[in-house]
Amino acid sequence: MSVAEASTTAFAFEVAPAIAVLPLASFVIALFAGKYFPKKGALAGVTATGGSLLLSLWVMLTVAGGAYYNEEIYTLVSTPESFDLHFGVLLDPLSALMLVIVSLVSFLVHVFSLGYMNDEGERGLPRYYAGLGLFSFSMLAFVFADNLFMSFVFFELVGLCSWLLIGHWYREDAPPSAAKKAFLVTRFGDYFFLIGVVAVFATFGTATFAGSESFPVLAEEALTDGGAGGELSTFGLGAQTWFTVLGFLILGGVIGKSAQFPLHTWLPDAMEGPTPVSALIHAATMVAAGVYLVARMYGFYALSPTALAVIAFVGGFTALFAASMAVVKRDVKQVLAYSTISQYGYMMLGLGAGGYVAAVFHLMTHAFFKALLFLGAGAVIIAMHHRQDMWEMGGLREKLPVTYYTFLAGSLALAGIVPFAGFWSKDEVLYEALVHGLTDPLLLVAYLMGLIAVFFTGFYTFRMVLLTFHGEPRTHTARNPHLPGWNVKFPLVVLGILATVIGLTNMTPVAEATGLEIEFLHTWLEHGIEGLNSEHYGELLETVAGYSAAELSPLLAAALSLALALGGAGLAYSLYSGDRPDRHTDRLGDARTLLMNNYYQDEYQVWIAETFGTGVARLSDRFDQSIVDGAVNGVSSVSLFSGGRIRRIQTGIVSNYATLLTLGLVALLLVVGLTGGWFL
Amino acid sequence: MIIELLIGLCLLGTVVVLVSPSRYAPRLAAGWSLLPLVVSLLMYAGFNGRGNALLGGQLAYETMVSWVSLGPYALNWHVGLDGISMPLIVLSTVLTTAAIVSAWTPIEERENQFYGLVLFLEASLVGVFAALDFFVWFVFWEAVLVPMYFLIAIWGGPRRKYAAIKFFVYTNVASLVMFIGFFALIFGLGNSIQSLDMPAIAQALRAGELGSTGAIAPSTLKTLAFVAMFAGFAVKVPVVPVHTWLPDAHVEAPTPVSVLLAGVLLKMGTYALLRFNFTMLADVAQQYAPIIALFAVVSVIYGALLALAQQDLKRIVAYSSVSSMGYVILGLVAYTVYGVGGATFQMLSHGLISGLLFACVGVMYNITHTRMVDDMSGMADRMPVTTSMFVAGAFAYMGLPLTSGFLGEYFVFLGTFGADFPGAAWFTAISMFGIVIVAGYLLYAMQRTLFGSFSLETDYGADGVRTDGGENADEHLESEADHDVHRAAAHDIVPLAILLALVIVLGVAPEIAFGMIRDAVSPMLAAGGAG
Repeated sequence: MSVAEASTTAFAFEVAPAIAVLPLASFVIALFAGKYFPKKGALAGVTATGGSLLLSLWVMLTVAGGAYYNEEIYTLVSTPESFDLHFGVLLDPLSALMLVIVSLVSFLVHVFSLGYMNDEGERGLPRYYAGLGLFSFSMLAFVFADNLFMSFVFFELVGLCSWLLIGHWYREDAPPSAAKKAFLVTRFGDYFFLIGVVAVFATFGTATFAGSESFPVLAEEALTDGGAGGELSTFGLGAQTWFTVLGFLILGGVIGKSAQFPLHTWLPDAMEGPTPVSALIHAATMVAAGVYLVARMYGFYALSPTALAVIAFVGGFTALFAASMAVVKRDVKQVLAYSTISQYGYMMLGLGAGGYVAAVFHLMTHAFFKALLFLGAGAVIIAMHHRQDMWEMGGLREKLPVTYYTFLAGSLALAGIVPFAGFWSKDEVLYEALVHGLTDPLLLVAYLMGLIAVFFTGFYTFRMVLLTFHGEPRTHTARNPHLPGWNVKFPLVVLGILATVIGLTNMTPVAEATGLEIEFLHTWLEHGIEGLNSEHYGELLETVAGYSAAELSPLLAAALSLALALGGAGLAYSLYSGDRPDRHTDRLGDARTLLMNNYYQDEYQVWIAETFGTGVARLSDRFDQSIVDGAVNGVSSVSLFSGGRIRRIQTGIVSNYATLLTLGLVALLLVVGLTGGWFL
Repeated sequence: MIIELLIGLCLLGTVVVLVSPSRYAPRLAAGWSLLPLVVSLLMYAGFNGRGNALLGGQLAYETMVSWVSLGPYALNWHVGLDGISMPLIVLSTVLTTAAIVSAWTPIEERENQFYGLVLFLEASLVGVFAALDFFVWFVFWEAVLVPMYFLIAIWGGPRRKYAAIKFFVYTNVASLVMFIGFFALIFGLGNSIQSLDMPAIAQALRAGELGSTGAIAPSTLKTLAFVAMFAGFAVKVPVVPVHTWLPDAHVEAPTPVSVLLAGVLLKMGTYALLRFNFTMLADVAQQYAPIIALFAVVSVIYGALLALAQQDLKRIVAYSSVSSMGYVILGLVAYTVYGVGGATFQMLSHGLISGLLFACVGVMYNITHTRMVDDMSGMADRMPVTTSMFVAGAFAYMGLPLTSGFLGEYFVFLGTFGADFPGAAWFTAISMFGIVIVAGYLLYAMQRTLFGSFSLETDYGADGVRTDGGENADEHLESEADHDVHRAAAHDIVPLAILLALVIVLGVAPEIAFGMIRDAVSPMLAAGGAG
């Protein structure tokens, strides 16, 4: 590498913090000066995230050149006797890829918002764009965080932005309530995450992700070298057990943020927010934060087969569980919300099953196609004058061709139909789960749940497409939709193209069949800082976690999942393709009621919150008023200040109190003075 | 001499404001309070202390003058600052100015007396944090009660007399208990000290020079003194179960007084615990760490649960203070840099944030004449700026990163989780659940009051006088908010904005305060508790 090259490399990394700082600037501009600008802060946001996107691409190119970056940039607290708390930048293939994903989706969502918010004459636009700016800042900083403390900081901040943006329409009753629920449920998960962060510090004295002094490396040394384990304080447990406990604690935050069972209940409610927000935060990026965190510290999770198995099982179960609920929903955004939960389940399944690359792959494709679907749904919602019930739609295909074809591309990707993006990534996740599952029954069960979910996914996806775009228009609005402008179409087209072709970057089954070197993502993630790449993770899985993969052709697994997806899609087609489709889900009877009520998940969680939260609180309050304070009043009533005397003193003039105080003090000093011999 | 200047300015201000006409008192007091504020900021900027004030550190702005000699003990005027007291002094001056400006709207009678008392309170608070001689310290400690008592009893709500008396008696009895405990130690030290100088006492105690008093062995004496002093200071903090004066005092006190009560007065308790119990009797504190931690955890969780059950915004914030101060105790008992340093940082942070929240509630109360969660909704539309401040303050209280609220709690958790006492990790993990409950009640309160469609229904008359429930409950005055709900005046907002700015600055650049705190805390840990 020549000197000139080296200096540009360094420069790309040195300006990398600007990737996050630019949207922070747009937050400040929109918040304080947004109302003076023609688009109320949108332009600042578009410019800033556009800049972030360009910088992210530059960083990605630099990383592709084989350069990585792992530096502290700001020290909050440095303590000689104890650990430092700092912010840093970690740029490697994983974070560079994620930076591009987040800044791209954020940029497109800003553009889309011009159509969804500005053109629709919404109020509170500066607040809206400030929220988007703050979110983009926090999310991007989360992505390049070099330590767990910084991750937690920005993990919480994206939670705040989520609260702000879900509750954007605060004058109505539902959005503030949904915002509260989203924050509280994720906070419950973050409680465990916070214990985890603190415990990681207490155990390793550091929380950095990369380098020879990072906590995954220290943990690995403790397990493999044996001797080093003695230096770590593992709180009376064996090293492996304690690391598993740590993994579970951090997993709490992951399950909350990535909306996994049983903390998924906030995400469907979060759909009360504006649709571009749903696309950015509640589909493509913030919800990905949990999964990304597991990927970021995969070197740590790869040490604990128990934690991995639980991740896989939770993921597989959530994939199936959420997909089943999406089947009966009427609101297009609800279908997408449950689909999001389900898809993140796949990513967890992939991570837990040892498919690090597969999970990251699915994270990437899902970010694009789910953002696309949400924005497409947003375009439909604009067209339908803010109606979201699919049964009021129908026949929008002719009126909204751009929306239709891009939405179709996204749907094919979601359902996993070849050659759209979701097929390749979901297939790889399932393949990894299968080959590892053949040696581990728990993983196999997780795999089977994921596999069955493919059928449901195909079904609900095409039910959604058919009800929305096909058949005869069922309402007046659907006959005369509001046509979207360029600012709506442009993001759809960009994402539509990506949803179609991005999967081609990593065609594992084709590579297997033809022997070509075309698994670009595998190659991409194999590189990276020592101990922080897929190659190393693979070794850890084999040597420490004891994972072993069975020999199996990826073509077979691919064919199986494709057949199921097509089966689901075909069933949807046969039921809903007519001009006037029937409400077939009604025939499900009690099952439909159960699904419509989301398995009564909300009910039992509300019951728990009310019993153990509000209920205990009321009891405590009563106890406090009667017993604790009662004792105080009781004591005081038998002492000098008996009830009657209090009243008499109170009617007196205020100077009494001053006298009383002075007398008391003097008496006290006298007593002490006498006994202490001051006056001898 | 600068500390004397600071206290003198406050006292002079008291006199000037007291004799000025009520008309000019608000602005005069606010203007005057800038003087101690500026002086304290200059002191902060020029701070050059090293180490811990009680453990032989180099003090900043120290004055030591012999005063009188009483029997065997010399009483000295000894004041000086270290990295623990310096930030607390700035907290006092900042919050005093904020409280004075936020009192412009609600305080409408006897203004000169009100502001005079507030400045007197400021003088006493500065004295408490600066004094290093026990006698001087105790005079200031008791002097705080006087203005506070009158501020609640004269300008308070309907039950102000009850609340004021309860506050006064409770804390005074506590002072008595503490006083007895401390003097037991003095007698035990016998001839090894010649004055009531706190550094000398602390060093003598840590050097194990405590003899027996009467038939009581030194170790027993230490323990008994520790218990008495802990009990005395715990009332001020307050620690469950001696917290019940606090909600009454807060609810009845006028809001600017609540700002000072929650913001600074509670810190007197934790500050005194830090100086007396945890510095002088470190070995006892470490010996009984699990029991103290238990008190801390109960305060955190029980306080938070009580806050969850309240309907009055002020009561919510008041009980949440019990919860937040529990973290301070938990940090103190850890005896790690992050634990004790975090506890001090949390004092600072909680002072700013609870002051901010009380002031927000006050601004809303000035305009709506209610604090009941059920009485109002949709305030965001009418009072957008106040709402923003409330939201920001509430999130800071919930420990949102990049605010000081997060770091205060995080430091404490970090310091306590790996601490040496048995069960430290469990105590920490359980107390952390407070962050979930605090989010519960603050989000609930915000959702109900700030958002949704606008409505205001109070059982207060339009003149702001409460038409009391109870016997007149039938004549419930259902006034559908005719009195206009408007934006708050600029001078109501400015203190909020300044407090919020400080909360964010401390959250982003904690080193500004944590640097000197850490320096003052370290000797406490290094020396351990000998003897």
